[in-house]
Amino acid sequence: MSNKIVLIILGLIVLDYFLFIALPILAIFLRIEPNQVNAQLHNSAIIDAIQLSLFTSGVATLIAFVLTVPTAYFMTTRNFPGKSILDTLIELPIVLPPAVAGIVLLYAFAPKGLLGPILNRLGLIIPGSTIAVIIAESFVASPFLLRSAKIGFENMDRDVINSAKMLSGSRIRVFFTITFPLSIRAIISGIMMTWARAMGEFGATLMFAGNLPGITQTMPLAIYVLLYSNPLGGVMLAIILIIISFSVLIIVKLLEQKRFGTKK
Amino acid sequence: MINVDTITKSFAEKKVIEKLSLEVKKEEILSLLGPNGCGKTTVLNILSGLIRQDEGNIYINDVLVSGSAGTKKVHLKSSERKIGYVFQTTSLFPHMRIEDNVAYGLKSFHFSEQEVKKRTDALIEFVGLHEYAKFYPHQLSGGQKQRIALARSLATEPQVLLLDEPVSAVDPQLRESFRLELKNYLQALEITVIYVTHNLSEAFIMSDRIAVMGNGHIEQIGDRTEIFDKPTSSYVAQFLGINTLKGKAIKSDAGLLEIDVNGIALLASQAPNLVGKNVVATIKPEEIMLSKSADFNFNGTLGNSVEGVITEMVQMRSNAQVTVDAGFLVKTRTSLSSIKNLSINLGDKVYVHFNANALNVFLDNGNE
Repeated sequence: MSNKIVLIILGLIVLDYFLFIALPILAIFLRIEPNQVNAQLHNSAIIDAIQLSLFTSGVATLIAFVLTVPTAYFMTTRNFPGKSILDTLIELPIVLPPAVAGIVLLYAFAPKGLLGPILNRLGLIIPGSTIAVIIAESFVASPFLLRSAKIGFENMDRDVINSAKMLSGSRIRVFFTITFPLSIRAIISGIMMTWARAMGEFGATLMFAGNLPGITQTMPLAIYVLLYSNPLGGVMLAIILIIISFSVLIIVKLLEQKRFGTKK
Repeated sequence: MINVDTITKSFAEKKVIEKLSLEVKKEEILSLLGPNGCGKTTVLNILSGLIRQDEGNIYINDVLVSGSAGTKKVHLKSSERKIGYVFQTTSLFPHMRIEDNVAYGLKSFHFSEQEVKKRTDALIEFVGLHEYAKFYPHQLSGGQKQRIALARSLATEPQVLLLDEPVSAVDPQLRESFRLELKNYLQALEITVIYVTHNLSEAFIMSDRIAVMGNGHIEQIGDRTEIFDKPTSSYVAQFLGINTLKGKAIKSDAGLLEIDVNGIALLASQAPNLVGKNVVATIKPEEIMLSKSADFNFNGTLGNSVEGVITEMVQMRSNAQVTVDAGFLVKTRTSLSSIKNLSINLGDKVYVHFNANALNVFLDNGNE
């Protein structure tokens, strides 16, 4: 087969794949007209879903940041028996089917779940609450930040860190002045991925938190409901999520391109 | 000043440092010379406290900084050992300006703002890069970065300076001049320096003494002449590119040792009496003269002249490496003009001549 034919076949495959991804996205953008947007923005179900999604995904991302960055640092700087098993376990939610994530959370946090007795004593009923949404989103999305932060810490020039250790006796100072600033791009990239994943969370939220408007009905859940009652509302929410996802990917790509020490 | 006492270190069951001992004198510049992967950097990392040895003690100024004294275990932090460390890669903090890089250690030790500024300025001035103080590392060349790395390591006024192949981060065409600059800085500092390199000429230029490292320990330590003229092991001789001949000491007469190398008798003056023993004789390529006749004027001293055949000729910039099979293989360094005058070619019959006192003889320990 000549190179030209190979190139043509390759080009057709690429075009095919591009259309396969782009056409559905284009289809939804063609479905709504600008003047319809305004009407949907006054729909309280839509506004509630947007507000709830922004709130829960924001809190979930914050929780992920607080928990995963120190964990990533610990996992990349320490060796201990069983490390690889623990490492795999904490990244498991990335590949876990969302329905499975939902059911495991139920078995942990529901009144009859593993932590049920403690939560009951504190008067907390998690499933069906906004807290459940935050837990579901944190559970599913935090490993993205964990992975990203780990890559950031792992890729650091050892000599740079060792230079700092020679000059400063404080590990905390070395972390905050050298390690963290030098991994900031990887961490921001992880934050963006985590936030986008939390915004898009559907299965685990539906199973664990339910679909209660204003309490647990996030944007993806609202899309599901509105598809039958108000398709245009669903389309608008979908478009918002597409724009968010697209923006996140662009930011992540830009962050990956630019690194300290390069003349870009 | 620095006393490394029988240290051992293994990585994943593989012994990298094995019973290594080393003493470095105050304000001495000592090169740790050896091939890549022989454990030189590990020694620096252990000295600096970045990694911990499995066994053995390290003393700086007679103070135990790592190891055990009786039942008491000691391991001072890197920042507490008063050691400056310049790494192989340009390890400047890429997100900080040059002045902030240099000031980093001073700020860690809570010096006043004025003191930090004063010392930082002085150090950047010392390495001649004052106009770059506000620059970021990526705006500097490899050599400039290493000069700043040197300034940064000196900020906290260390007693010991460790340099790990600092020249390798510099562009090849600028290495020569950087070496000389660095030497001037080190001499001006009056500080104890351990300089790691795999480059023979660099070790010779930079240091007062050289410790040749191999197989996880120090093979030989001494000044330039001692190391080059009197290697004490085949390993050192071979690493330095010196001819190594294995033979047996036959007889000794009035300080003159006769050795048999593959059936050829060679004379060595100033050799220890090792009659009856298996020995190694070393001869520097520069000490060997070539001629087409068996006669050679040794100016009244005793010499060795052996017939051989040229088996290899490699032309270099100003001379050629000519290998002769004279019953044993010897490499010579011969000027291009001599080769022309002698009109010698590959496969020609020649005579190799060298002084009896140029032949260095030691007991063959059988390891090679």
